[in-house]
Amino acid sequence: MSGYNLERLNFLVVDDNKHMRALVKTILHALGSKNVHEAADGADAFKELRHFPADIIICDWNMSPLDGLDFVRLVRTGKDSPNPFVPIIMLTGHTEMHRVIEARDAGVHEFLAKPISAKGLYSRVKSIIERPRPFIRAGLYFGPDRRRRQIDWKGSERRKNSMEMIPSKSAASAAPADEGGLSQAEVEALLNG
Amino acid sequence: MSGTSKPEFIQPPSTLKDKVAITNDGVDLDALEQAELLIAGMQGSYLEWVEEDLKKIYALYAQAQQETGSRKPVFKDIFSVAHDVKGQGGSFNYPLMTIIGNLLCRFLERLEAEDTEPKDSHMAVVKVHIDAMRLVISQRMEGEGGRAGDNLVRGLNAALSKIQPPKDPAKS
Repeated sequence: MSGYNLERLNFLVVDDNKHMRALVKTILHALGSKNVHEAADGADAFKELRHFPADIIICDWNMSPLDGLDFVRLVRTGKDSPNPFVPIIMLTGHTEMHRVIEARDAGVHEFLAKPISAKGLYSRVKSIIERPRPFIRAGLYFGPDRRRRQIDWKGSERRKNSMEMIPSKSAASAAPADEGGLSQAEVEALLNG
Repeated sequence: MSGTSKPEFIQPPSTLKDKVAITNDGVDLDALEQAELLIAGMQGSYLEWVEEDLKKIYALYAQAQQETGSRKPVFKDIFSVAHDVKGQGGSFNYPLMTIIGNLLCRFLERLEAEDTEPKDSHMAVVKVHIDAMRLVISQRMEGEGGRAGDNLVRGLNAALSKIQPPKDPAKS
């Protein structure tokens, strides 16, 4: 059987938990990757990017001092960003709808819910390989096209309307415990537009 | 913000397809199975990691108990460890750790969102979650943990609903 050979891809794994970094690295090596660098937070990762030409970044959300979202924004829109186009997979336990949208709006390509598996991680990498997306600059947003499929839609804008009904971060944070996290399939459906 | 300006489409200078070929030794189903087996083989390491986390979270709980001022900063640290436990258990066939970690995280998130100063009753809820996690690991309750696992989760949900009754949707 044959499949994508990941040998030449450079991965940067960013997570403040060394055990998670070890797990992600183990999976990537098992899938044939040779060049996997790591960083413990967003600031370290940004420094690492200056001399390591990452092809894909796998980034945790909860980190300090620079968390995953701030790091994504810095990579996408920072004046001195070494590669604003680099594909980013956000790895996190936060799968509530407002969080997925927040990550998407920061400019992530893919979202992978923890706990992770080899199949889950590979499916996100495969998706990035098979569906390269143009980038968009619109208002304050710079990042991959958030509508992956372009459809000449004549019906009502149900998605747009439902997005408007999603509470903002501050409003949503008033009752996070009432929100269940989305499953990976639901996250995909949301991100797939 | 120029919300009405026309979006500009930009093609990235390169795509991964330039660096990735399909080869006979590429990632196929067998390679994925091998990778999953490799993760399963890390279970021993996971148990060491999680035991470290459990020591850490218990020490934080003890610190919160001694705290004479606000317990909020310590609760943030407890959340951080619970979040790690939640994120890892399922990868190593300990989904109960993910379930319990998730319950604890959501409880702590709600306290924070409501800006509640943690009281002794909240401490008790944190303690039962820590005890449940320690039980899962000490008894090596892999998978869903069978009937004991069900009982454990049911007990935690009962403790949570006692202290945080679910909001009445009719009133919200």
